[in-house]
Amino acid sequence: MLRALSRSPAPVVRLLSPRTAVWVETVRGRKSRTDPKAKSKLGRIKTPPPVDPVEMVVLKERYTEYNLILRALRLEFKEQMLRKKYEEEVGSVAEERTKREEEEHRSLMALNDAENLRMHKIREQRMQKEAEAEELKKREADILRQQELENYIKEKERQILQLQEEAKDFITLDNLDQRIEEALDNPKNYNFAIDKEGRVVKRTAFQR
Amino acid sequence: MVHLSSFLLKKYHGGHVVIRLALGGATNRPFYRIVAAYNKRARDSKYIEQLGSYDPLPNTQNEKLVAFNYERIKYWIACGAHTTKPVAKLLGLAGFFPLHPMTVTEAERRQKAALTEEVKTDSQQQVEQKEAL
Repeated sequence: MLRALSRSPAPVVRLLSPRTAVWVETVRGRKSRTDPKAKSKLGRIKTPPPVDPVEMVVLKERYTEYNLILRALRLEFKEQMLRKKYEEEVGSVAEERTKREEEEHRSLMALNDAENLRMHKIREQRMQKEAEAEELKKREADILRQQELENYIKEKERQILQLQEEAKDFITLDNLDQRIEEALDNPKNYNFAIDKEGRVVKRTAFQR
Repeated sequence: MVHLSSFLLKKYHGGHVVIRLALGGATNRPFYRIVAAYNKRARDSKYIEQLGSYDPLPNTQNEKLVAFNYERIKYWIACGAHTTKPVAKLLGLAGFFPLHPMTVTEAERRQKAALTEEVKTDSQQQVEQKEAL
């Protein structure tokens, strides 16, 4: 009997016989393992909601259709995605992208070259101006140096002339005796007083 | 509770991507985000991408607002993501998926119940009328 039942197609069995009444004996909820069953629930037999066989047949058909459509959708989406990926990486989109990038690169390089030219011209002008300024400075420095040299020479010549003039009064071996006599004859007196207003007083305290 | 760091959670054993509703909002005010997440993750924890939202409470115009990002949903379904029952029902109502069989059967059941109620009230009225006569 059991073997016959098992050989018969499964959905028929499931459709005709109700599902087993006691599916789960205990479900852990609020209570722990050792809590006893509540007194109001001692004789309770939980039964699943009743199944309408006609509705069940219709539902099964609807489910198979639904699953079929879903599966088809899934595969179609997959195909679309793969195609998009392929296009992006290998196909037309990639080519367009490379073209665009090339154009961008060219334009950017052109911009760069123009900028470089402009900066080069500006730099050339600046360098010219700087060179001119430097030349001016050098010339001025030269002039200054020349002038200083001349001043120096003039100063030295003046000093030499002054020395020559002083040399006339120098004491030499020839003048020695003469000058000694002169010095002894004219004793110089440095004793004088001077006040803040510049009045010189030659005659000091009475000397012996 | 073991708190695994991110570089340990890279790969799950036998997990798959799911498109499901993640609950948010406040007390007595739910709000769902339609989200692509790994199956083994907690309901509200880190997800891969948000694909839309669903507000279960009707607004002032008596509408329940749903948002979908169809492009990304297509991508995830193409990558092999499953959908949960409520998400499938919502997508069916939106027209992206076929109508879920349970929505149809629920509607039929409600119609039948409404019919029987009508019949019952009619018969009750008839009985009352007869008694009054």
